[in-house]
Amino acid sequence: MTQHLTESEVRGIAEYTRIGMTEDEVAQMTVDLNSIIDSLEPIREYQLDGVEPTFHPIGSLSNVMREDVEAAGFTQEEALANAPKQQNGSFLIPAILGDGGDR
Amino acid sequence: MAALGTPFGQMSVAQLQAGLAAKEFSCHEVAAATLDVIEEADAPLHAFLEVTRDAALAAADALDARVDADAFAQAGALAGVPVGYKDNMNLVGTHTTCASNMLESYVSPYTATCVAKTLQAGAVPVGKLNMDEFAFGSSTETSAFGPTLNPWDATRVPGGSSGGSAAAVAAGLVPVALGSDTGGSIRQPASFCGVVGVKPTYGMVSRYGVVAFGSSLDQVGPFARTVEDAALALNAICGHDPLDCTSQPCSVDFTANLSEGVKGMKVGIIPAFMEAEGLSAEVKAKVEEAAAKLEAAGAELREVELPNAKAAISAYYVLGPCEAFSNLARFDSVRYGYSDPGHKDLGSQYEASRAKGFGLEARRRIMLGSYLLSAGVYEQYYYPAQQVRTLITEDYMKAFDQVDCLLAPAAPRTAFKFGEMAEPAEMYLSDMFTISINIAGNGGMSMPVGLGAESGLPVGVQLMGPAFKDENMLRVAAELERIYGPAPVAPGFKAGE
Repeated sequence: MTQHLTESEVRGIAEYTRIGMTEDEVAQMTVDLNSIIDSLEPIREYQLDGVEPTFHPIGSLSNVMREDVEAAGFTQEEALANAPKQQNGSFLIPAILGDGGDR
Repeated sequence: MAALGTPFGQMSVAQLQAGLAAKEFSCHEVAAATLDVIEEADAPLHAFLEVTRDAALAAADALDARVDADAFAQAGALAGVPVGYKDNMNLVGTHTTCASNMLESYVSPYTATCVAKTLQAGAVPVGKLNMDEFAFGSSTETSAFGPTLNPWDATRVPGGSSGGSAAAVAAGLVPVALGSDTGGSIRQPASFCGVVGVKPTYGMVSRYGVVAFGSSLDQVGPFARTVEDAALALNAICGHDPLDCTSQPCSVDFTANLSEGVKGMKVGIIPAFMEAEGLSAEVKAKVEEAAAKLEAAGAELREVELPNAKAAISAYYVLGPCEAFSNLARFDSVRYGYSDPGHKDLGSQYEASRAKGFGLEARRRIMLGSYLLSAGVYEQYYYPAQQVRTLITEDYMKAFDQVDCLLAPAAPRTAFKFGEMAEPAEMYLSDMFTISINIAGNGGMSMPVGLGAESGLPVGVQLMGPAFKDENMLRVAAELERIYGPAPVAPGFKAGE
């Protein structure tokens, strides 16, 4: 198996994707991802010079616009109904900077 | 006509509606009896994650109040029919969990267009169906709430990711269910459970309100035990939706040509699929048998090549995780979804919530997608995968210049045992015959053709059609149904009898 990713790189991806991981999980994920990436290799062996990419099955579509008319959306109450925490009609989150101290 | 005392969930849509129109029973009686059967019979099967009794009875009572016998024909193509929905489809007021701890307590504030369209056609919503977490899997084993069992053999998986939908129909709990298919998630479980499962052409059915996995690959479609029931459900859900800009207008009646037979139709066989490593002898034999029977019924068989289809699995496992990584970034523990308590800063709340909310396969695909889209890696995998997509799409276009429909295996083998597929890359091969059509966008379906000679378990053959000509594959499927008979209710699981 080729080493596409090191444990340190996997730790970096976990941080970027905001997924907390233990050291054991990082080790196992490194093995799993390297094995999966190995199985993707055929894609790199193709002769693709001059082939245009297809990003979407309905390739002829672009910039579908609707009429600019008012339509009802969620009420504030509906938009907040699934929020784990809310306060004064807003989503409530912990401090963004620092640890926020005690509250 | 259905036999006296047949449970409603085991009837076809036509049988149910004949009884409703003749006032042999009311929509309320159908709904109440179906709910009772589900609550009893589903306990061991675990096809349902939620039974929506109140919504079902309210819909049934409204139908009873609205229609008398004469007007029943106008009440909608699915009037009075109990329908179950894969749990990635929003139905207002129900839980929509995607079988994930991340969404365990999420309550839908709106209804997906595909669900709303079945309700407009008179469907009675009886519940939400189990699946692989966020549709990442081929067995329902990744459901955070426990797997669904295969109604034909409780030691085996029902397939996935729409395993609950396939099992509920196979067990006779409902006549019709909706699922979604990103790489085979309707066709493979339909094959494993011995029911009809249709993935329409991409763009036929609105994806609005269906929790996104791979937005350029996902498509919603029906499960049923008869081709006509699947066609009726497809009639109800297809068409343009202003809320999904990829959805296209559709004016086809998919039941119209089901009785025409296959005389004069050209059906293609793909030699490379038939010789593929990993295809079991019993599935191969069934596909060959179905081909011979179609030929005897008047179809012309032709060999066609899809030279680039062999790259489909690697292209899919690049594109799918990349799109999933992007789609699953929305789960932020703030607006909805699981939020790990007690954190003093937002960063640690994010990391703990996403670590505990997502299961292992979801985390694997998010991280894989993130890697594949990173600078320097993008050019090596993602961009070539989109170029390969062009080649695969062109292969199918050339194939459908020669034939009206393709016939192939749906899954390489019959249902496997729980825990049998331990390695992710091994599990991914379950979709080796279904993935290329998602990449191209065309329609495909699995059609039951009896039991495998070795395993004694259901085998499905896959039919594929030209883009936006899904009536072709349904017409061939109807011929196979006349040959093999409609899909039976799983014998060990005749719910409600």
